[in-house]
Amino acid sequence: MSVRHLSVERRPYRPRRPIRFVLTAVLTAAALVAAGCGGGDDSEEPSGPVKIKVWAWYPAFQGVVDLFNRTHTDVQIEWENAGAGQDQYTKLQTALKAGKGAPDVAMLEFQELPTFQLTKHLVDMGKYGANDIKGNYVDWAWKQVTNGESVYAIPVDAGPMAMLYREDIFQKYNLTVPKTWAEYKEVAQKLKTASPGSFIADFGANDGGFMTGLMWQAGARPFEYTAAQSPNVGVRLNNDPAKKVMAYWEDMVDSGLADTVAYGTTDQYSGLGSGKYATYIAAGWGPGYLASVAKTTSGKWRAAPIPQWDAGENAQGDWGGSSFAVTDQTKYPEQATKVAMEIFGANKDAWKIGIDEAFLFPTATPILEWDYFLTKEYEFFGGQKVNEVFVPAYNGIGEFQWSPFNSYYFNQLSTNLNQAIEKKTSWTAALDTAQQNITTYASQQGFKVAS
Amino acid sequence: MTNLARRARVGRQAVAGWLFVAPFTVLLVFFLLLPMLYAAKLSLYRSTLVEGEVFAWLDNYRQALGDPEFRRGVVRVLVFGAVQTPVMIGIALVAALLIDAATSRFSRVFRLAAFVPYAVPVVIGTLMWGFLYSPNTGPLSSVIDVDFLSSGTVLYSLGNIVTWQWAGYNMIVLYAALQGVPREVYESARMDGAGAVQTALRIKTPMISAAIVLVTIFTIIGTLQFFTEPLILQPLNPGAITNSYTPNVYAYHQAFSYQQYNYSAAISFLLGVVVFVGSYIFLFVTRKRSALR
Repeated sequence: MSVRHLSVERRPYRPRRPIRFVLTAVLTAAALVAAGCGGGDDSEEPSGPVKIKVWAWYPAFQGVVDLFNRTHTDVQIEWENAGAGQDQYTKLQTALKAGKGAPDVAMLEFQELPTFQLTKHLVDMGKYGANDIKGNYVDWAWKQVTNGESVYAIPVDAGPMAMLYREDIFQKYNLTVPKTWAEYKEVAQKLKTASPGSFIADFGANDGGFMTGLMWQAGARPFEYTAAQSPNVGVRLNNDPAKKVMAYWEDMVDSGLADTVAYGTTDQYSGLGSGKYATYIAAGWGPGYLASVAKTTSGKWRAAPIPQWDAGENAQGDWGGSSFAVTDQTKYPEQATKVAMEIFGANKDAWKIGIDEAFLFPTATPILEWDYFLTKEYEFFGGQKVNEVFVPAYNGIGEFQWSPFNSYYFNQLSTNLNQAIEKKTSWTAALDTAQQNITTYASQQGFKVAS
Repeated sequence: MTNLARRARVGRQAVAGWLFVAPFTVLLVFFLLLPMLYAAKLSLYRSTLVEGEVFAWLDNYRQALGDPEFRRGVVRVLVFGAVQTPVMIGIALVAALLIDAATSRFSRVFRLAAFVPYAVPVVIGTLMWGFLYSPNTGPLSSVIDVDFLSSGTVLYSLGNIVTWQWAGYNMIVLYAALQGVPREVYESARMDGAGAVQTALRIKTPMISAAIVLVTIFTIIGTLQFFTEPLILQPLNPGAITNSYTPNVYAYHQAFSYQQYNYSAAISFLLGVVVFVGSYIFLFVTRKRSALR
């Protein structure tokens, strides 16, 4: 129910403060009108350093911003956290559509880039020298952010996937670290028998990135799309590898081995903290996330490669990972490009903060090959050098294409899977429904859909 | 007084009058009428990712009328309103009659206590209930074995939050109306031999029927526009509270999750029609009792 205003119907009982109310209303209205229409036109030549507004939600980002501002005199960053993930995208889309209010530089996850690129709100940084740093990135990462010579974003971090597990629980119940998904299920059964209240993992059907990462690892490629081929888009969400993944997890949930609490909720955090979930299929940024939501379990976690579908293979997937893009509302595209390229870039001082405090997984090759990063022992993982797990995972990530309507895709994926879980219907049929809806939507949006 | 002077005075009065209504008018025009006109314009266009914006006449409305998700949402809030409204107004009325009859200090404390939930912001109240309902961390799950957030139960859980939040508020409105009833009426009722219960049912309730109609109409409008509570609880069980759970939630997600601003505007206007028709039907049915004719 929305908030409503109502004056009590019998006049004598009205609070007697009309004058103050009127004054407040007038002042508020005046202020709002001024804010709405004024806007200010500061097109005059900048005096002093150019101020570049940045939206991002990396943990411990203030230190990185301070470092940039200390080491640059001509450009200064004004950082704002406009919310994480979808919250920020909503604000950004609205501001871009409105034509004002967007930052110069915005953090965007890889999967969102085609969407923002399609609406033509991203500046081609290739014109401002972004191609010079191409050599710093592996092929798949650079392909995620570019279209030929056009550069729409600078990669920052990636989300290679691995299995984080509670070593204490594995020891207590004498479980072995699974190498395949079949073994993973056996371990889950063993755990369930020994401790009926526990689950091997929680499956967050509300997280499109997580599920896409799992499908990616199994070889699914739900979309075939590049900016160059627009408006042609291939949609194959319900192909065999994707169905294999969903059938597997449906079985895990049906057998009571996996839980279905939504990701990002207090319930999930408490489950991770209490040991209710023995493993957490995570991305490269997962350790930092885990360390903040399940602080009390520090030292008890270990990382292992993500289980494989076929023994001996090295199939990998990616979950999340982000970049910096320059919006078309910037007045200083050149300086904004510089900010996007250099905030993290391949700067070791910045990345030291990113690695130590934010647990980011870098995409720049010089950082990936940096000894400090490779051999860092993580206290949260009992001194394990977890990057020995994540770096090979990163190198195994194959090419992947995202649709230009990612929000709709994630929403359909999670809506239909959540429905299937709630109503105990087939998960693979949920993929079929999502496929159908996405195809319809894409055609309505004017795309030529091939499935 | 000359004709001219009178006209000048009338003119001055008119200016003063305009000044007094100016703040309201400014707010009304800038924050209600203009946005509504803009939304009306939006709803007549159709924008696609590939082709941009094109004028589409009533296509969005046609699509919405045939949209099963939208229709299910409308039916859900209608059913919700049909159950929620009488329950909540009933509770509010009983409570108002009780504190009106009792004059002890307890009644003052109770009045305040019942009103407190209304003072809690909707978002905070809903988050709090979300924690209470949570099967893992909530205290309720250790008392009874019910999943308050499953698709079968969540509408009741939402109804409970709304009742908690608004019953006290409606009670205060009804209580204020009761205070306005002349005491002599009660006296003569007592002289005629009416007991406390009879006075409440036969005298007080009919005397404040206009206020009851008023709070009912606001409740109907509120339930048809049901939005904040389901949106806040959605992350806890997105399978039960879908993106099209209520028409307003659907409009929100169309605009801000799918960037379908035009379709969202059309849905909002259709919902407006539903609210208008619903309110009108209620006022028509109760026209004898209502002061809002």
